[in-house]
Amino acid sequence: MSEDEKKPKNPSRRAFLKSTGGAAAIAGIALGGLAVNPKETAAALNPMPKKWDETYDVVIIGSGFAGLAAAIEAKNAGATVTVIEKMFVHGGNSIINGGDFSAAGTKMQKEAGIQDSADIMYNDMMKTGLYLNHPGLAKTVAEQSNSALEWCQSLGARFAKVGFHGGHSVKRAHQTINASGSEVVNKLFDKVNALGIKVQTRTKLVRFVSDKGGRIVGIEVRTGYKFPDEKSGKTAYIKARKAVVLTSGGFSQDLALRQIEDPRLTDKFGSTNQPGATGEALLAACMAGAMDLQMDWIQLGPWTSPDEKGFGHVPLFCERLVGYGPMINPKTGKRFFKETGNRKERADAIILIGNPVIIMGDSYAVPKQVFPNALQKGMEAGAIKKFDTLEDLAKNYNIPFEAFTAEIAKWNSFVEKKKDADLDCMIFQDAKPTVTPPFYAARLWPKVHHTMGGLVIDNNAQVMGFDLKPVKGLYAAGEVSGGVHGAVRLGGVAMADCIVFGRIAGKNAAKEKSQI
Amino acid sequence: MKMTEKDKRVFETAQQARIHTPLCLLVLILTLGIAMTSVAAPKKMATSQPENCALCHGKEKALPAGHNDIKKMNYEGCKKCHIDTLRLGGKLPGGHIHQLSGVSCEKCHGKVKKQTEVPMKQCVTCHNPEKLKEKTAKVKPENPHTSPHYGTGLDCNACHRQHGKSENFCAQCHKFNFVVP
Repeated sequence: MSEDEKKPKNPSRRAFLKSTGGAAAIAGIALGGLAVNPKETAAALNPMPKKWDETYDVVIIGSGFAGLAAAIEAKNAGATVTVIEKMFVHGGNSIINGGDFSAAGTKMQKEAGIQDSADIMYNDMMKTGLYLNHPGLAKTVAEQSNSALEWCQSLGARFAKVGFHGGHSVKRAHQTINASGSEVVNKLFDKVNALGIKVQTRTKLVRFVSDKGGRIVGIEVRTGYKFPDEKSGKTAYIKARKAVVLTSGGFSQDLALRQIEDPRLTDKFGSTNQPGATGEALLAACMAGAMDLQMDWIQLGPWTSPDEKGFGHVPLFCERLVGYGPMINPKTGKRFFKETGNRKERADAIILIGNPVIIMGDSYAVPKQVFPNALQKGMEAGAIKKFDTLEDLAKNYNIPFEAFTAEIAKWNSFVEKKKDADLDCMIFQDAKPTVTPPFYAARLWPKVHHTMGGLVIDNNAQVMGFDLKPVKGLYAAGEVSGGVHGAVRLGGVAMADCIVFGRIAGKNAAKEKSQI
Repeated sequence: MKMTEKDKRVFETAQQARIHTPLCLLVLILTLGIAMTSVAAPKKMATSQPENCALCHGKEKALPAGHNDIKKMNYEGCKKCHIDTLRLGGKLPGGHIHQLSGVSCEKCHGKVKKQTEVPMKQCVTCHNPEKLKEKTAKVKPENPHTSPHYGTGLDCNACHRQHGKSENFCAQCHKFNFVVP
């Protein structure tokens, strides 16, 4: 082993980008007909460590919904398991998510009189995804969403009610009792601990280790890593006798990578994600021969506020009000887009206007629809405001009053008829005209929320390579994978995706033949 | 060694100075000056005592000129003067406050040759998370010792540093202006 190989390379972004370019070039050569297998080349570039510091059957990267679900299923199938997490705490984006779990044909839906099925959910996903979804993956999520929800409930996760998200044709977002994904993450985490699975925080993936045939046999990590200091921590090697499961999430916070894929997404746009939502693990998989897809479909949330940091409280206000209250462009005083439209349509419409817009509701809709804690916190943060009259509201946001009142009167007539003749907003049966003071309103400006693209997986969560064959020993689930959502992910389907494919990945990883 | 914000600024200025040659010498002197002071970072001595600044800080003056003699002083003694705007919480590294309160290095690190990071389970032997949650229940805008994400289980080390500046971990995503001791 040369001196160069012994030293762990500093995984700087530039090095990564250079190497991915290299990997793509190698893939190009392979497709060009030369007898070079990209995975073998990857193996040649990634030397085998002299000794492994730790060995498990299944090694899981990431501790969000997908990683923890995979860990539990792999352990239950008899495998020895560890979970590594680069950040200081477990949970990734999942522990800060809004706690909406989209599932079809559930007991809670039946109790609420909602008619739904896996087929309807699948059709919603495909339609909103512009039919770019990989049908098998979307179908798997829709069909197993109910059993995934029940599985979480069996582990103690509690759900309070079924709500609506733009783009769905029925109410199917099952909200956790605390309106946070933490309810599910922490119940899974308790189970992981009860099963004796070691979760190693501050442990960052550096690269995958492949054998000569290109099979993933382990990983190089840095232990004691202090995000975002790339020089922190010590090199260690973890062997995976059966498989590695990559559940490292998306790259919404990765300014460099997201601008490569979508150059519009400069620092002008904030993100709802935790700061560790960067793409280096995904790129490391590509360097080990895994293929990526649809990386430039990056979703912005149209319901975030410029008046608070991160995800904040306004999304929980906005999404409960669409179909009950109007969304107004303060420049014109008029509605401008279908409130119940999907995320992409709505975010694009706001970006086109070029300034923040208003979502509003009255004292019938808001107390009925909005989680009380979200309303209170949003108001304390100054992101949600309360007004005694429509005039006060208009004055505060500099809305031309006459046009505004005429628009509200028109909206109210649509609500009476339950039919929006202007923009075809879905108006719910229990919606009432916006007339009861005080009125509540918040400003909206999109933030980068979800990266639909990612690694190519099959219906078994098996990662596919640039040679269009499986990258043996590598599974992926959740936001790091691509294809489930196509062009646009529907609200609440991330939780379903992560739990469904996390479980599939964990089970299949445990089934692999042990490579001793 | 990690660059401090100040180092970074000086470094960036130095970069620009490549173009502005006349400034170069001045910047070089400044850079050297700062580099030299950072050499004198305090040593972490297992045998450290609160009243013996020199043991860790060497010749560097740890206290401002004219500061009261701190011999035999404990944290309660410090707090006689350090109230309101002079308060030490959030300014003096936590390790010092522990020392001044009679908690020596080895009480947390144990009697070991090479001291390692102290895990949360050690902190909670004195600082009960449930009691901390009650104690800070009225802090605005949120109670820092509980959250919908982690309950009372968030690792103390996420915010509280004993040998460096503490961090407002929540501020990664929230607008909470906590002063973290």
